[in-house]
Amino acid sequence: MARYILRRILQGIPLIFIVSLVLFVLMQNMGDPLATMGGRSVTRKEDRERLARQMGLDQPVIVQYLFWLAGNDWSKVDFDGDGLAESYGTRRGVLRGDFGYSLVARQPAMEVIASRIPNTLILMLTSEFIVIVGALLIGVYSALKQYSLLDNLVTTFSFVGYSMPIFFLALSLMYIFAVNFKRWGLPYLPTVGMYDPRVGSTPGQVLLHMILPVAAIAVNSFSAYSRYIRSTMLEALNQDYVRTARSKGLPRREIIFIHALKNASLPIVTIVGLDLPFLLGGALVTERIFAWPGMGRLFIDHVSRGDTPVVMGILMLIAVSVVFFQILTDIVYAWLDPRIRYD
Amino acid sequence: MNKLRTLVPLFVVIMLVLSACGSGASAPATQPKVATLIFTQEPDSMNPLYTNMYFSTILHPLWDVEAWQFDDQNAPHPVLVKEMPSAENGGISTDGKVITLHLKDGLTWSDGEPLTSADFKFTWQMAMEPKNAVATTYPYDAIASIDTPDAQTVVVNFAEPFAPWLLLFKGLIPEHILKPVFEKDGTLDNAEWNKNPTVGVGPYVLKEWQSGSHLLFVRNDKYAGEKAVIEQIFVRIVPDDASQVAALKAGDGDLGIFIAYPDIPALEEAGVTMITAPSGYSEGWFFNLGDKGHPALKDVKVRQALAYAIDREKITKDLLLGKTKPGASLWDNSIYVDPSLKPYAFDPEKAKQYLDEAGWVVGADGIREKDGVKLKLRYGTTTKEVRQSTQAVIQQMLEQVGVKIDLLNYDSDIFFASYGDKGPTYTGELDIYEWSDAPLFPDPDISYWRCDQIPSDEAPQGTNAEFLCDQELDGLFQQQATQVDLNQRVDTFQKISKLMFDQVYWLSIWQDPDIWAVGKRLANVKISGITPLYNISQWDLK
Repeated sequence: MARYILRRILQGIPLIFIVSLVLFVLMQNMGDPLATMGGRSVTRKEDRERLARQMGLDQPVIVQYLFWLAGNDWSKVDFDGDGLAESYGTRRGVLRGDFGYSLVARQPAMEVIASRIPNTLILMLTSEFIVIVGALLIGVYSALKQYSLLDNLVTTFSFVGYSMPIFFLALSLMYIFAVNFKRWGLPYLPTVGMYDPRVGSTPGQVLLHMILPVAAIAVNSFSAYSRYIRSTMLEALNQDYVRTARSKGLPRREIIFIHALKNASLPIVTIVGLDLPFLLGGALVTERIFAWPGMGRLFIDHVSRGDTPVVMGILMLIAVSVVFFQILTDIVYAWLDPRIRYD
Repeated sequence: MNKLRTLVPLFVVIMLVLSACGSGASAPATQPKVATLIFTQEPDSMNPLYTNMYFSTILHPLWDVEAWQFDDQNAPHPVLVKEMPSAENGGISTDGKVITLHLKDGLTWSDGEPLTSADFKFTWQMAMEPKNAVATTYPYDAIASIDTPDAQTVVVNFAEPFAPWLLLFKGLIPEHILKPVFEKDGTLDNAEWNKNPTVGVGPYVLKEWQSGSHLLFVRNDKYAGEKAVIEQIFVRIVPDDASQVAALKAGDGDLGIFIAYPDIPALEEAGVTMITAPSGYSEGWFFNLGDKGHPALKDVKVRQALAYAIDREKITKDLLLGKTKPGASLWDNSIYVDPSLKPYAFDPEKAKQYLDEAGWVVGADGIREKDGVKLKLRYGTTTKEVRQSTQAVIQQMLEQVGVKIDLLNYDSDIFFASYGDKGPTYTGELDIYEWSDAPLFPDPDISYWRCDQIPSDEAPQGTNAEFLCDQELDGLFQQQATQVDLNQRVDTFQKISKLMFDQVYWLSIWQDPDIWAVGKRLANVKISGITPLYNISQWDLK
């Protein structure tokens, strides 16, 4: 097992290198970070030339990639624009843990990203937890009571939620529970943000502000999981070993949860394992609409300003987590199904 | 399944309980007075030298006041200086090369340190320092030297007479905080103060900034100027326009900006007041007059025909609910526009006649042509909704006079990407470009039509998207930049506006003022088009 894990990690390293190169080159086509710099007018010619030189954006892509990867403290750069490269750069490169400075915030890219990770995890892990628990309950129930009234109701409901575009769903929830409930004098929820400034950042406030975004994410992604669990569960329930367990007279609860569900959950583990790293990326639309300060918004904001260090930082974080969670998924597989041997 | 039966009602109960207690109908008396401002973009840097962002600079009247500010009539008034420099009071020298500022008595930074002429000099030095990657060196690059004969006198010496001096000192940086940082790091690029300026000068001081969420300002009791009435200003970042409108309606925000025209009626119905602030911006057309542009556009008759063929009144009425109107020049509503100019009227017959005269006659397919070339224009802009609607309407209007239009849309960082980055605008891949722009408001100067701004391999960052080099226009633009005498400069700009109008070098689609939404709770709000939040210390909550 240990050898298998080591081999997978070693395979992952060149993969991440290739991913980083491809993403870096693609990122150069995402627009010019100096075009307007978030301003209302186009940046002046003199300033563009100066900033391109100071930020190293006038270098060929491959040189920029090399500086991003390995830093530029071994190479001289022209800072004052006299055409002579006179002083050593200060960047140490990703390989030495330096993701560079955000072109927008002028802060270390990793600090910018790290400030958003907790907010995103609070939102995404809560949603994921609710989705998985809810989907397991509903999925198992639907499989056991196939075509019952509740099964049909849940199926309809989950497809409505799944087919609704998330921006529509999110704005509808906001208008119903925040804007109109308040107008009608009912108990209402807040529209945007993480807490009310008059009360402060208390756990109760954060929880309250989380209800609508979590509901929007959950309703939207609930159906895929529950339908999946329903079908793998149905398949498992028709297997010989379940019939054997039943004929042995085992309690029904044990048959469902130990014999059927454990086997039915193998493919689900794969799906959850593949989804988990993307939780780090946040929810682009939901975070935007509810003004939730998470990674999704950070990503969009910085892509729109061509901020390569921050965007690459987020993408690499996700790429590394994908590799990590895939290895973790394989380990969980072996635990769930003793027939699987990696050595 | 019993669990599920208890879980669902439990969840609903928790939701109701939480929402009931959290948003409690009225705030207890001990809570501070907080006004919530909604910004659709997050400021990038707080350091005035390191940002071009509107949402960063409009915060300066809160915590880092300008040397002078502008009121709701866009007229300047002194803030840090005793009086506005002028020729009469000796503040502006007769040759226009020296401007002298006298600072008010008793000015201090929010940490109690005195604010002196040295801070003005330091701000200029840091803007020009090659090791600092500041957003722009303008207008500090026009300064030759700054003398500080005493702590309250700033003497600014220019190499040439510098007319746009009103653009100077929009936010100072504190020498006693940042000089040690510069000496240690060799640059201010990564100074902690840029992100967390705990020391400023203004009615408020920044208490905390949570990335992506909010900025919280608290009242600065040490401020020498007018003390603020409201204790805290909470700036909430809400990137989505629709959410901004919902938050304003629900009272979760007290002030919003850049309200889209279609949202105005619903907001007004909810008791939100709209304030229109002229900020110098105009939505307009730029024509590609270079080699890669359509040959027809080089003929002034064709450009005039296009102006006559578009019913701009109808566009402002239908798409912008009549909240604004078509303009004549980039300097409308200012002293710099030739007062005789009136926007081109909608006159499709005249348009057809002009196009015929120019030799572009209707072909078999209904599209005009000349020497085998079809009058087919590529019309590009950003992805903003109202621009896309405008494109579609104009496409139909021009079809009526036999001009075919292809519509193109780009994200703004691609649309405005430089020639060096192969952006469609500056490489001349389009015939007509639309965006909203302003001169260096309140100063009338603008560099787009100068010959030396034409983008090329030698000048990959050039901003002359029209590839136009009109010697007369270029001469006038060079002349005005050194005219410190206001009357002379007004005269030059009136000539510029007349020339650009007659030649249709730029076509106004509509005047584009900023639209602010002020919630029911806020009182005494006035908005300037230049330093919008200038009277924030007088604001109150009802």
